[in-house]
Amino acid sequence: MIELRDVTKDYRLGETTVQALRGVTLHIKEGDFVSVCGPSGSGKSTLLNLLGCLDMPTSGMVLLMEKDVADFRDSELSRLRNNTIGFIFQSFNLIPVLTSFENVEYPLLISKTGKKERKQMVARMLDEVGLSKFAKHKPDQLSGGQRQRVAIARALVTNPRVVLADEPTANLDSATGHEILELMKKMNEDHRTTFIFSTHDAKIRGYASDVYTISDGRIVQ
Amino acid sequence: MNTLILAIKNIFKNRRRTVITFLAITSGMTGLIVFGGYMEFTFMGLRESTIRTQLGHVQVAKKGYFEKGLANPGKYLIRESESVERVLARMPEVKLVTSRLTFSGLISTGERTLSCKGFGINVAEESAGDMNTFETVVDGQQLDESTGPGDGVVGVELMKALGAKVGDYLTLLTTTIDGTMNALEFKVVGVAETGSKEYDSVFVKLPLPFVKRLVNCNAVEKFMVLLNDTDDLGKATKRINGLLATDLQGMEYRTWSELADFYLKVERLYRGIFDIIIFIVGVIVLFSIANTITMSVFERTREIGTLRAIGTTRLGTMRLFLTEGILIGIIGGIIGVVVGIMVAYAINFSGGIYVPPPPGQNRGYLAMVLIVPQVILYAFASIVGVSALSSLYPSFKASRLKIVEALHHI
Ligand SMILES: Nc1ncnc2c1ncn2[C@@H]1O[C@H](COP(=O)(O)OP(=O)(O)OP(=O)(O)O)[C@@H](O)[C@H]1O
Ligand SMILES: [Mg+2]
Repeated sequence: MIELRDVTKDYRLGETTVQALRGVTLHIKEGDFVSVCGPSGSGKSTLLNLLGCLDMPTSGMVLLMEKDVADFRDSELSRLRNNTIGFIFQSFNLIPVLTSFENVEYPLLISKTGKKERKQMVARMLDEVGLSKFAKHKPDQLSGGQRQRVAIARALVTNPRVVLADEPTANLDSATGHEILELMKKMNEDHRTTFIFSTHDAKIRGYASDVYTISDGRIVQ
Repeated sequence: MNTLILAIKNIFKNRRRTVITFLAITSGMTGLIVFGGYMEFTFMGLRESTIRTQLGHVQVAKKGYFEKGLANPGKYLIRESESVERVLARMPEVKLVTSRLTFSGLISTGERTLSCKGFGINVAEESAGDMNTFETVVDGQQLDESTGPGDGVVGVELMKALGAKVGDYLTLLTTTIDGTMNALEFKVVGVAETGSKEYDSVFVKLPLPFVKRLVNCNAVEKFMVLLNDTDDLGKATKRINGLLATDLQGMEYRTWSELADFYLKVERLYRGIFDIIIFIVGVIVLFSIANTITMSVFERTREIGTLRAIGTTRLGTMRLFLTEGILIGIIGGIIGVVVGIMVAYAINFSGGIYVPPPPGQNRGYLAMVLIVPQVILYAFASIVGVSALSSLYPSFKASRLKIVEALHHI
């Protein structure tokens, strides 16, 4: 469902070029619960950004449902991210001025989902992450774990094919981190949504059905 | 819709910055409204005084008079003056019709002789219709029912130059219609001041029959028609246009605005100044909103990255910040209108602004601030336009941020 073919990614930093990815080939199937592991600076974020169509590879191909993402225009990529991809971030990245409900609703507003359907979908999603009671709370009135739950609800509300989570537990204590992974795993099973998350925490890695270990820009296992 | 709500929420998130921006817009708007209202007051005063004391709303004369009459007034005299006057006076919008006969010549005390410009007026009608309120009588009295057929009013500067005083007899010397010299004596009953030094040093105002005798001709040069209300001008000219084909054949007319050269120049000058002020206020508002939006974009870079990641298009991102800027302009503009009107009322309530004598005039006056919807609308629209303009560039920059870099922004 998502495929990388010999992908490299270079960053230019003034005179020097950093090779963040040095030829990555991988294939992730529908419904997988995949972990990308590796030490800091190994290229995990870079990899997830490419999978999420947030960035373009320097060379090689990124295929999303058999289509080369390089062929898409920016507006088409936006639509693709809105409909088929969900994002969970390390520091939650909720919109501070919006309530939990409104944060979860936002992707549906972008896709112009009808009002009634939208409200239902958001309410159901908040219920699934156990935050129905916190619908009217703003992010700064929530704990880290609760925020990440809102983010999970936001990522899944559009019923995407794949959810990308770059170190979703790095800003949480270990107990909460486990809860979040449990929730992601449950969502993966309930919705058959593909999950790809990065971590350098060996315990968290255990939740994955597939583990890709990355080191110095290459998949080593 | 969600763009609007998000914009409103973000505007009120950073209260202090928003308040400062609103303050800039509000003070700018207040300045525009007060100055614009003062300007309109000046226009109104000048317009009404020009009309009521010098020009009338409409002037009617023989065809060709307005173009070539000044050089040769004898050629365009209206001899059938009574019938024309009756036709004009019958119109329902008309307050009064008066006529003019002018001459230029010399005025003398016997010892000293100066040049002057005299004109004859219909004393009874004009004093009844307060057409002479423009001049202030500084000594003696105005021409009215109580003055005699050989009495006149002289400009204050001319009196000074002649060294004459009220009650003196002065001699007027001019050429008659058939080219011979004629002299008549009149009694000074009043000294008047119009505000224009130039005019005050030449004018002599006399009863029309006296001037007719002086230039030896029983006719008038033109009729001045004063309406009840300046707003009736359109209706009145329409009616006169109809009359030109019937009762007023061979005549033509001019409205006050075609004759009020000075007024139009003043108006143009003021409007020019007003536009410059709008421009200056606009630049201030431009920078203040541009600054606000730029800061907002900078502070919310990571949020922009997030919004882009979850599917907001470039256009949608741009719209978000553009809406914010325009909204600040609209809200600030509305506050500005309210405050501006309040300040205008406060100024009027406290008696107005004292304006020292303008150049060429010798009287200062108290100016009020008129609340003119067009001026307010013009100022408001300019501010909103500027706010859109000023948020354009930062919004565009926001929409072009690289998602990955934006997400990494602290
Ligand atoms: N925008 C960038 N400009 C320049 N170099 C970059 C940029 N982003 C990443 N890099 C470099 O690319 C390499 C891979 O970075 P990446 O962020 O993918 O690592 P990571 O595995 O996610 O690390 P971490 O665990 O610390 O998040 C690093 O050497 C990093 O310094
Ligand atoms: Mg990383």
